[in-house]
Amino acid sequence: MDRFLRWTGIAIVIFIAAPLVIVVPMSFSTSPTLQFPPPGFWLGYYAQYFTDESWLRPTFNSLLIALMTTILTMALVVPATFALVRHKFWGKGAANVMMMMPMAVPHIVMAVGYYSYFGSLRLVHSHLGVILAHTCLAVPITFLVLSANLKGFDRTLERAARSLGATPRQVFIHITLPILRPGLLISALFAFIQSFDETVVAIFISGRDAETLPRKMFDSIRQEADPVIAVISTLLFVAVFLGLIAPHVLRLFRKLFSRAAPKPVRATRNTQATTPQEVK
Amino acid sequence: MAVTLSTLTERRNLWPWLLLAPLAVYLALFFLVPLAEVAIMSVTEPRPGLANYEKVLTGSLYRKVFLNTFATAALVTVCCLLVGYPLAYLMNATTQRRAMMILLLITMSFWTSFLVRTYAWMVLLGNNGPVIWLLETIGFEDPPGILFTRFSSTLAMVHILAPYMIMNIYSVMQKIDRSLIRSAESMGAYGLSLFRHVYLPLTAPGIANGSVLVFVICLGFYVTPVLLGSPREQMAAGLIGHQIEEFLAFGLGSAMAIVLLVVTLIVLAIYSRRFGLDKLYG
Repeated sequence: MDRFLRWTGIAIVIFIAAPLVIVVPMSFSTSPTLQFPPPGFWLGYYAQYFTDESWLRPTFNSLLIALMTTILTMALVVPATFALVRHKFWGKGAANVMMMMPMAVPHIVMAVGYYSYFGSLRLVHSHLGVILAHTCLAVPITFLVLSANLKGFDRTLERAARSLGATPRQVFIHITLPILRPGLLISALFAFIQSFDETVVAIFISGRDAETLPRKMFDSIRQEADPVIAVISTLLFVAVFLGLIAPHVLRLFRKLFSRAAPKPVRATRNTQATTPQEVK
Repeated sequence: MAVTLSTLTERRNLWPWLLLAPLAVYLALFFLVPLAEVAIMSVTEPRPGLANYEKVLTGSLYRKVFLNTFATAALVTVCCLLVGYPLAYLMNATTQRRAMMILLLITMSFWTSFLVRTYAWMVLLGNNGPVIWLLETIGFEDPPGILFTRFSSTLAMVHILAPYMIMNIYSVMQKIDRSLIRSAESMGAYGLSLFRHVYLPLTAPGIANGSVLVFVICLGFYVTPVLLGSPREQMAAGLIGHQIEEFLAFGLGSAMAIVLLVVTLIVLAIYSRRFGLDKLYG
């Protein structure tokens, strides 16, 4: 039984890892047709990506749209989250549902709506149209992440500052914002990624002028499967990997540099770690 | 400025609404209005009436596509469960180091865009790709093409949605009180009966969460079925896109979109009745 489970586990891990791993060697392949094993290796498709206007422009569009979406989303969601987490008021339940709605509606449904609505507003094929649409789609996840952070906020700190004579504004700037900064950064990151990865709505409304990277990739995969896609996939994959291990690397560095610090903290952690084993 | 702000704060009823107002207006203008436009188009294009719905709900092509969509979503959910449950169990049972490695892999997969993962499956299953190559090396003569079939799109969707399932089940498993398992063992439960009577009920919330999430996302899936699936066995989202892009049949496309939306909302409503929607995505 145990052996069977272990092999099942290995098979599942391979199933999950294989698609992530395969694009990396393919991006260095000289073959234009995704041949395996690759007949040879070169950096030609990387060069092509970084020099080809038809790939660089969508990349730039995507970065710009994601950045503007992030700014707009944060400007709208941060105050709303404060209202929903810290205040009780009539209609709060409905407001909560409204914040989550864009997540429950399939993107294809919204794509049809935006295609027609922005068509009548003359916003199809424009950066602004995509930004406005992406902001709606980014609201729920940004709100979820931020509200989780705000719920865990220890409000006694604010009260302490108030009792020491700080004005509400001073409390907000010197206490609330600095403590909340990691949460704000993470929710902004979620908004950015939501927009950067969004494909379906962008396919329908971004057009030639505001073409985003996912739209360009989608079209290219559908038509000819340009090997440059393997390059972009690898680059995106590396970006995700770096983003995920960055906190671990930072922690490692901190550990290395704080070796000289006193160690009572570690001692207590050790005793905590041993208690469950003693029970055993 | 400070004076007005503080007086507003004292009038507590107004302040939260003031904070909420910009977003509420924004969502009304750029979320509710386009959504309403879909509903309106479905009964006005090309002429007023319920003809579009009649077509969508009774036409054999549309019924086939919707049934196919449900069947695929159900199949993908079951496969995700079959992949996710054992892996979550093993992550919980194995050393912490290994569990962390697997968790890193799953998060990596989760954060890699749908499009990139779909493309990766195209590379893997392509006619000159590694899977065919492997089959030929093992000794299969002339293996059949797997790409652009129902199989390839289902496989890719399972891969893309499995992280949702795994994370949900794993987080529930981690919270299980070990002493419950031990006491069950001390009373003579082991193997399958321990699993059925203790482990499975304790992990049921994670299974429900993961399944609903996977099923709902799969219902509206556009990218992967369009790129990897068979053109003859479209899913609902693909057909909606087709109606809009190729035929400019806004009314018909909108009616299908509304049916898809209603079904999705029904699934979510049943779920939220029982568990509360806020837990689903948290």
